[in-house]
Amino acid sequence: MAHPSQLGFQDAASPVMEELLHFHDHTLMIVFLISTLVLYIIMAMVTTKLTNKFILDSQEIEIIWTLLPALILILIALPSLRILYLMDEVNDPHLTVKALGHQWYWSYEYTDYNNFGFDSYMVPTQDLTPGQFRLLDVDHRMVIPTESPVRVLITADDVLHSWAVPSLGIKMDAVPGRLNQTAFIVSRPGIYYGQCSEICGANHSFMPVVVEAIPLKHFENWSTLMLENS
Amino acid sequence: MVREEETSQNKGFKLLGILDVQRIPCARNAILHGAGGSLTTGMLYFLATSRVRRSFDVGFAGFMLTTLGSWFYCRINNAKLRVQQRFIQEGIKNKIVYEGSVLDPINKPKAENPSGPS
Repeated sequence: MAHPSQLGFQDAASPVMEELLHFHDHTLMIVFLISTLVLYIIMAMVTTKLTNKFILDSQEIEIIWTLLPALILILIALPSLRILYLMDEVNDPHLTVKALGHQWYWSYEYTDYNNFGFDSYMVPTQDLTPGQFRLLDVDHRMVIPTESPVRVLITADDVLHSWAVPSLGIKMDAVPGRLNQTAFIVSRPGIYYGQCSEICGANHSFMPVVVEAIPLKHFENWSTLMLENS
Repeated sequence: MVREEETSQNKGFKLLGILDVQRIPCARNAILHGAGGSLTTGMLYFLATSRVRRSFDVGFAGFMLTTLGSWFYCRINNAKLRVQQRFIQEGIKNKIVYEGSVLDPINKPKAENPSGPS
């Protein structure tokens, strides 16, 4: 999860998010260099005594400041498109989970083998136990196995919501009457937090998403337990 | 636990408030190489021409080119290492999973044993 006053991305927990982090580093370095160049030019312009009131054109500088931005854009676009297509690669998911957005909670359905589902409500602040995170923890987490491709089908029951987990690099709108699909692989066990990302009413800020990734063997035990309880 | 991690780690030094040179791989080396390249080119140009202002311009150009060159060189090597790391991880996982089976990657076909004395 994010720590207080964090500005940057959270640590990546999926291969796609790792690629996005690397792409962000690449683009940020380009942005940094452009900013440095602009700052230097501003300082140079401000501190010079040289003036030329009669300059009309200059072929060389025009060529440079046309070609250079084009080159920079290509340098940014190529890795960007690579990741875009990487995110849309056809994969063979081991598990499909349905995430439904309601006002104001998420519900998850595991219908691959035996049907079970549960609601996921935020733990109210007054009911938090020591160690739990305010506005982030929920009563029932969405549990998935690690190192397994998982498909999530996202929709909503009433108004627009958005299912987002930053450390997995996922954000997908939950639209009533529409089924959106996203897929991911969680690289390491852990608990990953996200929040509803589409304004949906009074308690929009109080319907978090919590994904718990556990090894497959423990996931099987958990799903057996959930079936028995349902 | 989050606060302990935060206080134990350095908060990171951000150039121009955006580029965290401590956390981003290759950033620190690229900036340092750039600084060195900038000093070198600027000084050399000044020694050759004694033009102060133009030396600064040349030094800045040297900074940009050296930073970019070092950055891309380091990132390409980094990317190759990450690909190798993924192959190795996959190989270790497969070795554990397939050990002793027909699919074991280090399982060599044994030559037929000669029949014993009758």
